[in-house]
Amino acid sequence: MMKIREKMQKLYSFLILILFISISACSGDFLEQAPRGALTVGSFPNTADDALLATNAVYNSLRDWQINCGGFPLLDMMADDALKGSNPGDGTAISVYDKFEHTATEGSVERWYKTLYQSVKRANLVVNEVPNIEMEAGLRDRYIGEARFLRAYYYSILLRAFGDVPKVTEINPPLDLGRSPVHEILTEIVYADLEYAMNILPAKSDYEPSELGRATKHAAAALLARLKLFYGDFAAVETLTKDIINSNQYDLEQDYGMVFPSVSEHGIESVFEVSATAEYFEDGGNQYANTQGVRGTPNRGWGFCRPSYTDLIKEMEDANDPRVDPTVIFLNETIDGIEIKGESASLDTIFENGKIIEIECYNQKVWYPGTDAKSSQGYNRRLIRFSDVLLMHSEALNENGKSDQALIYLNQVRERARGNNATVLPDITTTDKVALRDLIIQERKYEFALEGLRFWDLVRTNKAEEILGPLGYIKGKNELFPIPQSEVDISQGRISQNPGY
Amino acid sequence: MFKKYIAQTILILFISGGLFSQQTYQGLIIDESSGEPLIGVSVMLKTTDSGTITDLDGSFSILASPGGVLQISYVGYQTLDFVLTDQKSINIKMLIQQNILDEIVVVGYGTTKKSDLTGSVSSIKSEDITKVPGTNAIQSLQGKVAGLQILSTSGDPGADPIVRLRGITTLNNNNPIAVIDGVITDISAVALLNSNDIASVEVLKDASATAIYGSRGAAGVVIISTRRGTSGENRINFSVQQGVESVANRVGVMNGREFGTYINAIYPGTYNNLDALPNVDWQSEIFQENTPITSANFSVSGGSDKNNFYFGLGYFGQEGILPKSGLDRLTAKLNSAYILSEFLDIGLDMSILLSDKENAPGVINTALWAWPINEPFLADGESYAEVNGGNPLAGIAYTNSRSNLMRGLGNLYANIHFLKDFTFRTSLQFDVSEGKSRSFIPKYFVGPLQQNEINDLSYGTSNNTNLIFENTLSYAHLFGKHNVNAVGGYTMQDLQNEYLQGSTEGLIREDPLFWYLNAGQNDFEKVSNNLNRQTLLSYLGRVQYSYDSRYLLTVSARRDGSSNFGPNNKYGNFYSFATGWNISNEDFFPKDIMINNLKLRLSYGAIGNEKIPGTAQYALIVGGIDGVFGENEDLGAGATFSGGGNPDLKWESTTQFNAGLNIGLWDDKLIGELDYYRKNTSDILVPLEPIGYTGVGAYQSIFFNAADIRNSGFEWNISYRDKAGPISYQFGLLGTTISNEVTDIGQGFGADSLLIGGDLGNGQQVSRTAVGYPVGFFYGYDVIGVFQNAEELAENASLFGQKPGDLRFRDVNGDGVINSNDRTIIGSSIPDLIYGFNLELGYGSWKLSADFQGQMGNEIYNGKQAIRFTTLNYESKFNEHWTGEGSTNEHPKPSEGGINFLPSSYFVEDGSFFRLRTLTLNYQLGNELSKKIGINNVNFYLKATNLFTATSYSGYSPEIGAGSAIDGVIDRGVYPITRMITIGMNLDF
Repeated sequence: MMKIREKMQKLYSFLILILFISISACSGDFLEQAPRGALTVGSFPNTADDALLATNAVYNSLRDWQINCGGFPLLDMMADDALKGSNPGDGTAISVYDKFEHTATEGSVERWYKTLYQSVKRANLVVNEVPNIEMEAGLRDRYIGEARFLRAYYYSILLRAFGDVPKVTEINPPLDLGRSPVHEILTEIVYADLEYAMNILPAKSDYEPSELGRATKHAAAALLARLKLFYGDFAAVETLTKDIINSNQYDLEQDYGMVFPSVSEHGIESVFEVSATAEYFEDGGNQYANTQGVRGTPNRGWGFCRPSYTDLIKEMEDANDPRVDPTVIFLNETIDGIEIKGESASLDTIFENGKIIEIECYNQKVWYPGTDAKSSQGYNRRLIRFSDVLLMHSEALNENGKSDQALIYLNQVRERARGNNATVLPDITTTDKVALRDLIIQERKYEFALEGLRFWDLVRTNKAEEILGPLGYIKGKNELFPIPQSEVDISQGRISQNPGY
Repeated sequence: MFKKYIAQTILILFISGGLFSQQTYQGLIIDESSGEPLIGVSVMLKTTDSGTITDLDGSFSILASPGGVLQISYVGYQTLDFVLTDQKSINIKMLIQQNILDEIVVVGYGTTKKSDLTGSVSSIKSEDITKVPGTNAIQSLQGKVAGLQILSTSGDPGADPIVRLRGITTLNNNNPIAVIDGVITDISAVALLNSNDIASVEVLKDASATAIYGSRGAAGVVIISTRRGTSGENRINFSVQQGVESVANRVGVMNGREFGTYINAIYPGTYNNLDALPNVDWQSEIFQENTPITSANFSVSGGSDKNNFYFGLGYFGQEGILPKSGLDRLTAKLNSAYILSEFLDIGLDMSILLSDKENAPGVINTALWAWPINEPFLADGESYAEVNGGNPLAGIAYTNSRSNLMRGLGNLYANIHFLKDFTFRTSLQFDVSEGKSRSFIPKYFVGPLQQNEINDLSYGTSNNTNLIFENTLSYAHLFGKHNVNAVGGYTMQDLQNEYLQGSTEGLIREDPLFWYLNAGQNDFEKVSNNLNRQTLLSYLGRVQYSYDSRYLLTVSARRDGSSNFGPNNKYGNFYSFATGWNISNEDFFPKDIMINNLKLRLSYGAIGNEKIPGTAQYALIVGGIDGVFGENEDLGAGATFSGGGNPDLKWESTTQFNAGLNIGLWDDKLIGELDYYRKNTSDILVPLEPIGYTGVGAYQSIFFNAADIRNSGFEWNISYRDKAGPISYQFGLLGTTISNEVTDIGQGFGADSLLIGGDLGNGQQVSRTAVGYPVGFFYGYDVIGVFQNAEELAENASLFGQKPGDLRFRDVNGDGVINSNDRTIIGSSIPDLIYGFNLELGYGSWKLSADFQGQMGNEIYNGKQAIRFTTLNYESKFNEHWTGEGSTNEHPKPSEGGINFLPSSYFVEDGSFFRLRTLTLNYQLGNELSKKIGINNVNFYLKATNLFTATSYSGYSPEIGAGSAIDGVIDRGVYPITRMITIGMNLDF
């Protein structure tokens, strides 16, 4: 009896050990867990539908808050037409730009730079992967053209803001890149992309109404002209802008006050703009206007980028320039039936030595109908306007020795600005090249106030030191932003810092 | 996933079920010296956890088989193991205990005698755990375990405390893991236990103790064992506790007159009649006084020689000091075990939690920032008035947010005993929870900055399951003086977490009956849903060897595989070696000196960490990255990269060296435990912002194995107990020193060499992590005074635009100008010393005990003072502002913001504190008296919690947690901790 028991026990124990070992020899695929609800590179984009998805995502970056200089309209605050705004305690981290005291460790520069490269990456996904998709060739090329236009747009900001930067055309670039010269990126990427886009993309009128907001042939030409102007190729500017003017796709709005209201979105004057809906970002909104919107009553935003009283409002008022009203929201003004009361907790007027140096006011160009902060996100930021094409054309003609012709386009813009008041903004008549050059730049200041163009205009015409010097601008340094310090640190100096930072 | 394996296990159980009959042993237990029978001695069959107790004659009977080991334990006597033979009638003699070293301590996947322990393990018994009223039993460990830092960071009912063991080990998740009744889970699961149901808590600290938990052990392990029944008469316990709580202290802010004076100093003449200004104390407006805390617990336990059970039911209710922040909680506990045969026993341990929590309105900061000169109500006395900085009362009124949670944790197990020394244990463990939250904000208008134009509702559910299938084989044998104990096995774990979140706006009615998504407008409906899943497969083993209870050796190892890592680095190996020497057991050790016990311990090992998101290895492409097109501005669906991934991620590992000494003096009247530890964590999994041109985007991080941190320090825990006539007394002193240094970051990874943290939300980032410094130090300007006049300003370096009365910053690099290059380290939130002190005095039926805790050498960044979105009320220190030359060299002139609010040492405060955590007066009704009314034991107590705190910190409490280690400790505004007074009664039937 005892023996059977012992034998049974041994057999039983052996069985347990066998089973224990067999269970523990577990299959390896237990440890494979693919992500849920998301794809990985290699499985996207693979189809015509994917190609559209990937292309639309490149446009998404245009609405990204960080694409606007890391959230705030720094270019306007640095230029003479705007101050930091809001109240002194708000956004202290960006007050440094107003005085050109920014260093390489500012968060907004880093966010801006990173978001621009994120946008380039999104474009590179389309440019590199969509050509491999079997689909209708025309549509495929259009998607690639749109992505290349946008890639050029993002690079155009990188080059002007930071100078030489890493040249990235791959989805996963090598980790040891240094900076490539501006001209190399311009030639190999930016100009090539824009010329491709000019050839491939439809004109604005060739798109279905449901496709408004997509890149067009003439948007590509206008962006190319803007860059050629910045880098001093006036012959190219003259040709490019002439073709746009002759395309009959665009004209000026009759009234300057009608350029920015929501009813003029994608209107006759808009060459390229960023479509947005009055929702939060993920639902189609753009926080650009919210950042600059009226603080307090009505509560439309944060009130940054306050129009400069001394260097913009007073100058325009002294010149009887009617554009000051559509450009600036003054307290107690009524817009869309809403009285602007502003912020009660801060001062309405700030004096220094008995003189007004700042008044509470806001950027009216970004006003969007509504009474709350969210609805201000519906504002469509106009990136390229037809009046810019006209003034670029005028400037190029003047530089190319055709000052008399230049006057036509300059005065076309002034005439519209004049509105019904024939007594103001008389036609310019001088054909002195140097004098006319200054007048065109001056015209651009008032025509494009608070639109982010002024700073580049001052830099490219070597006027920055003269005009911005009193605000803290240092020649040889502030033409460029600093490369984010983290980028220099991570690359262990392969990516060098800009002079002066 | 486990199905196949579980089926095989069921087969094993089937084979073993009732295969063999069992034998009954009869025994008698007596005191060795007196020969008296001992009543109520616990007799446990070691391998099964089944057992009985001796009756009035000192006898017992138990079902077992030859070779089984009985563990005999009795208060005041040495625990002993008795090996069964064929002899059915046994007599056992017990020795009176000379020391406490033979306590049984729970370690990972088993138990051991304290004297055989080679690792650093702290053991806390149940009576210490019920001392502090609160929802979370973890809080009661504060000040009890050297090296353990528990921060009760919020007085919000049900808030989880922050737990750190031996400093900050990693940069991501520093929480120790919890093992509840054998189930590996996260530390938050402790909240589902009622303190009364806990039998013991063990904190495993060094590599020797934690290596068996491998990848989960690096930040320490907290093992919680709940109560079980023993055979004999049913024991019934009933306890009630009723307390009241109030905010422990208020933050000093300006009153109406002070505020008016300050604003007048910025803008002269703003308020002409300071006496006419209203004076609203917003903290008094929002905080409730003497709100109730109630708890009631009932438990019954018992059993026979074939089964035992413990059943517990608890209720906990706390209203909270802030309206709409209350918690109601119900816990249920059922532990049951069945001995089916001498070869097989099975059991189920289960804990269930039901909780209902109102999510506190976020008005704590608003109450500090709201202008004291604005009245809360309009003239009608009931409509909320617009208040600059926000009306906190309106904030409360319009917040309706509630979370419900159901969570169950259980361990279903079977033990099969075979070949005398072997036990095979198989268990299926689960920790599942179902949570839902609902938040409704009505349409309202208080002012332009405080309004909601359309009502909103959001509703979400989350479903978490954590399933573990665990199989171990253990072996124990005594070869003469050689004692061998071994365990080996494997576990499979499957963690899934799925959420569904929906929101809408414009509900047709605002009544709670309509707080459902269906009542909203379709246009506004939004829904999101996803699942995360992680799987783990582990092999583990440990061998413990001791020779003659003098020389001890423990070797343990674990191999973990995780789905969190790519194919190249799926598995990580972890191990430890430890030795111990009971010097006092040596023959040469003198017997007649004051030292009665002396033991040395040494351990070294490597443990790991894999607490990263499961998708960190992938560069994901997601939808919802849309463009907007067309005259109607419709969304054009888009998809592209969302951040980046790192396919080469591998396990983070911590090597830890520990040297320890246990000492007992004067027959263990004084017991000391001293440890030195050094932890080197390498390949730390850090989310880093990679080089920008790779295009992951702003604020996007990728996990890298990219930093090394060293923590080292000493720990001590010393206690002394004695009697002086009718008075018994005891005191204890424990502490830890922490030295934390980052030894490497990022180099060679294409990632940042500097980690930036501490975002205040106003564009300021006040924390850095860099090589050679403690993790998350504060970074900013070092204030060396206030510019007193124009000459001082002209002669010294200053920031652009500074004027007399502004803070003067140190020119750190000495280049004659102040700019951002002059920012420097201005504090660290890692304490140099954490300590606790407790004492107990007994006289007859009375007992008075007190627990103190404290920490030293840490700083706090007072972020709530520095955040100035607009003009807000100021804290009291701003009353001492500069008013002219010579007035103060500490506080700047009045301003609304700007230069004097830049990140600087002006906002860094000393976070050291010393707190009387609890003071308890206990009265035990005499046994004779209580037995007359049928009750074995009656206890009454009066308890005060957080009675006083000595600190120079100006906020609600210096106990503030860091969201992430790289942020440091920033006071962004916390729910204040409370002072509680509680009375309670405990009845044993």
